[in-house]
Amino acid sequence: MTHSLHREGPLDLLNQEYVLFVYPARGFNYDGSGPRVRRLGELLFHQGPANLLVTTLRKNMYLAISQEEILDSIKDGAKIFCVLENREKIKDTLAKIKEMDEGISIVISGVIDRVREISAELGLNPHTINLSLGIHGRTDRLPPADIRQFTTMCGHGMVSPTLIRDLIRRVKTGKLDLWEASLIAAAPCS
Amino acid sequence: MLIRKERCVGCGRCQPYCPVGAIHFEELKSVVDQEVCYECGTCLRSEICPVDAVEESPYVYDYPRALRKFFSDPNATHALTGIAGRGTEESKSNDVINRVVPGEVGIAIEFGRPTLGMDLKNIQKVTRAMAKAGFTKIEPENPFNDMIQNYETGDLKQELMGEKVLSAIMEFKAKPDRLGLALRTIKEAAKEVDSVFVVDVYTRLEPGLTVPKEIIETIEAEGYTRRPNAKINMGLGRANKRKDL
Repeated sequence: MTHSLHREGPLDLLNQEYVLFVYPARGFNYDGSGPRVRRLGELLFHQGPANLLVTTLRKNMYLAISQEEILDSIKDGAKIFCVLENREKIKDTLAKIKEMDEGISIVISGVIDRVREISAELGLNPHTINLSLGIHGRTDRLPPADIRQFTTMCGHGMVSPTLIRDLIRRVKTGKLDLWEASLIAAAPCS
Repeated sequence: MLIRKERCVGCGRCQPYCPVGAIHFEELKSVVDQEVCYECGTCLRSEICPVDAVEESPYVYDYPRALRKFFSDPNATHALTGIAGRGTEESKSNDVINRVVPGEVGIAIEFGRPTLGMDLKNIQKVTRAMAKAGFTKIEPENPFNDMIQNYETGDLKQELMGEKVLSAIMEFKAKPDRLGLALRTIKEAAKEVDSVFVVDVYTRLEPGLTVPKEIIETIEAEGYTRRPNAKINMGLGRANKRKDL
């Protein structure tokens, strides 16, 4: 669950979520990016991500595949999407990425104020920002906000509101625990 | 997508996975409503079917139906761009490619997001409004160009009018003094559509992760609310071969 520009949710939850993209640029540094992206992938696994996906495999780290399989799938042009779930973890990760200096674009999706603080502490100079100006049009047709807190974790809209409702029902009736439900909810997002 | 009737055991497990509710029961078997289906492939990728009855339709790559696939399945690589995704790389690699430089602002209208999708008749209402306001140049590598019949009028290709997409990103650049007009036009066009879209603005940052004041003031003056979270390019990328832009 990685494309979170329009992620909805209370600020205290958003403050704990940092999505990190490793993003080679087509035509500019794709060639030879594979080994560099792999080294960054190895670092990210070492940092203990909440989730991680490589675009050449398109399966998240919980779908019965090994870390090695994920890393071995990396070739030139592969991108990594990774979720780190607290401020210290993302700060430490960024410090190490800065030191590695692989020259691949790194994007953080997170609360602007937190990323600003971390950047200042690490001496980083963020380059570009993509701001979300919200949802427009027939917003009355959308699922309710509590469901969107889950579905908007996937920016591509792959997580069905019906699936989320079903999972909530199964958790409330004791058929699934929260972890099991989380894995099911995350799987469609690729 | 389709479900092979002779294999389906009618368990219904696939049904909640469809983001748009296209799968339903018919005579105790699960069936995909072909009109509703966006060809996103979520039902297949979920691997939830116990008897492998879910399959890609043999007609999914036929034109114009293929449009649904390219603009709804994040795993599908669009032939025009070679990029798996609905837009270009927007801000994500801007530190390397400098698509948006100081004194410019990138604007993206993400049709159909976050969940409902949108048909092309509704998308055309917005493209026509934007063209009328003078926003006729779309980011060259954006697959959205594939839909356009006439940039000056914002008309989309007529043969695509029966199609729809889970997300298509109309992406263009403007000088900051045109941002207000763009946002105003988008807001008016939003009243005419029968679905939803999200709006993004991307810009180069000033030192200290500071968004240029002119951009913030324009966004606020046009009555838009910024989300507290954003995508931030950390400035750690560089090109193998520097391209002068």
